[in-house]
Amino acid sequence: MSPLPLLCAQGLSRRFGARVAVAELSLTLQRGEVLGLLGLNGAGKSTTLQMLAGVLAPHTGQIALNGHDLARAPLAAKRHLGYLPEIPPLFKEATVDEFLAFCARLHEVPRAAVGALVERAKARCNLGAVGARLIRNLSKGFQQRVGLAQAIVHEPAVLILDEPTVGLDPAQIQEVRELIRALSAEQAILLSTHLLSEAENLCSRVVILHQGRLVYDQPIAGQRQHMLLRLRQPPPLAVLQNLLETTDIHEVAGGHFEFATPTEPAALERVVAAAVGHAWGLFELSPSGSMLERTFLDLTREYRASGDAG
Amino acid sequence: MIGVVLKREMQALFRSPFAWCVLAAVQFLIAYQFLAQIDIFLQYLPKIRRLAEPPGVAQLVIAPTFHITGFLLLFLIPVLTMQSFSGERRAGTLPLWYSAPITLRALVLGKFLGVMSLLGLIWGLNALMPLTLLWGTELDLGTYASGLLGLLLLMTTGTALGLWYSALTAQPAIAAIATFATLLCLWLIDWASQLEKDPGLLSQLSMLTHFQNLTRGLVDTFDVAYFVLLTCAALALTVWALAGERRAF
Repeated sequence: MSPLPLLCAQGLSRRFGARVAVAELSLTLQRGEVLGLLGLNGAGKSTTLQMLAGVLAPHTGQIALNGHDLARAPLAAKRHLGYLPEIPPLFKEATVDEFLAFCARLHEVPRAAVGALVERAKARCNLGAVGARLIRNLSKGFQQRVGLAQAIVHEPAVLILDEPTVGLDPAQIQEVRELIRALSAEQAILLSTHLLSEAENLCSRVVILHQGRLVYDQPIAGQRQHMLLRLRQPPPLAVLQNLLETTDIHEVAGGHFEFATPTEPAALERVVAAAVGHAWGLFELSPSGSMLERTFLDLTREYRASGDAG
Repeated sequence: MIGVVLKREMQALFRSPFAWCVLAAVQFLIAYQFLAQIDIFLQYLPKIRRLAEPPGVAQLVIAPTFHITGFLLLFLIPVLTMQSFSGERRAGTLPLWYSAPITLRALVLGKFLGVMSLLGLIWGLNALMPLTLLWGTELDLGTYASGLLGLLLLMTTGTALGLWYSALTAQPAIAAIATFATLLCLWLIDWASQLEKDPGLLSQLSMLTHFQNLTRGLVDTFDVAYFVLLTCAALALTVWALAGERRAF
């Protein structure tokens, strides 16, 4: 039997007037999992996260955080929650230390434990040097990290992060990703992002939202890079299938093949050797972007096509 | 939890120069009025002495001073309450409260007490000033205490109304104007009917009528209930307005 999920949402729907933002969405999140929420702008990602964080009530459906129903026992449920909204909620006239101590107290951390937890959160988010500075005077990257520290200071079981790496420079993005990886050992993390590479890098599972509906829910582990093979004098498809020992290969255009990257490099060596030996005219063998990217683009194509036409 | 909210509100309020400017300006205006009232009192003193039952300083100095303070509060309270929720809504900090294990009731009460902490200082200074008269004259302490009660009730009512408007909008300026208009309207609602023999319902609705009774030293349950009911109703409406923001219709 799988352990009780830390976050469990069933049949969530939310409308704004006549517009349906999220429809019939169900999600579960286990301890140790990092779940990525992907979608085009306006797909309902932020609305979903707001509902899961208790900021917005759903029209239908239930949410349980660590076994506590968010509608019936909101205080018990929210004790286990850390939330970083799209715009980090910061009291800019406070110093970093004061703000984090306040956040810890707000989440019912006993007074005696506040100091140690604030130091720990600051160390984890690399904020040690700016503790005494006013949040207003910090750069955007630092403010984003204070927002993240605010979400983790009380060490919640479930972390909900809305685009946690927005506004950070590449080095900081790397740091935040490492932090999220470190946190995922203890906590369940749900994050939204519009960067596919980030989802692939960071998440153990990915869901794709499209027009408020969940259209894809798969672990990242099964995702393999695809490769592109282009030949001037291509052999029949069956020959390539034999060499690669897979049927997962298709001809996109004349002499233009795509296949999932084989797990053993030997398969690629065989293809290259055969191409040279039989003078197939090999002129390109390259990674062609991820499976996730392909899936994402396929799932959202219809919408983008109509958008282009309009 | 109310304590956590209150502490944060007081930090935000008293750390900015705004609170101190307000305190300085209000204190200057009230002190000036107080001195002016004493001056008038001294000019009329010979005539007053000839009356059978001469009114004391409580009626002739303290009541008018409290009256001026009450009038100043109509302008001051909207400025103090306008940021409470609409400012946070604008800055995007409301989700911090909403996702934390705290009830809306505790949040609203904490914010209410936060604004009241500054108004409480103004109230305290108002309470201290008339006591200086004890050096030179006798003071009707009953009238004085009743006037102070009136001021306190006026402050709670105004603050609660201001919080409600602030919870309704994302524009602090709109919250301030709506609060000011409502308070002024309640203050002046029986302006036209004052000359009539039977002022009737309008005078019962008027904040001024109830406040005047208290500054005159008449502590009537009805007057106190008027302010307490308005305060509680406005605070309940604030909680309801905030809940409505999250609620699914």
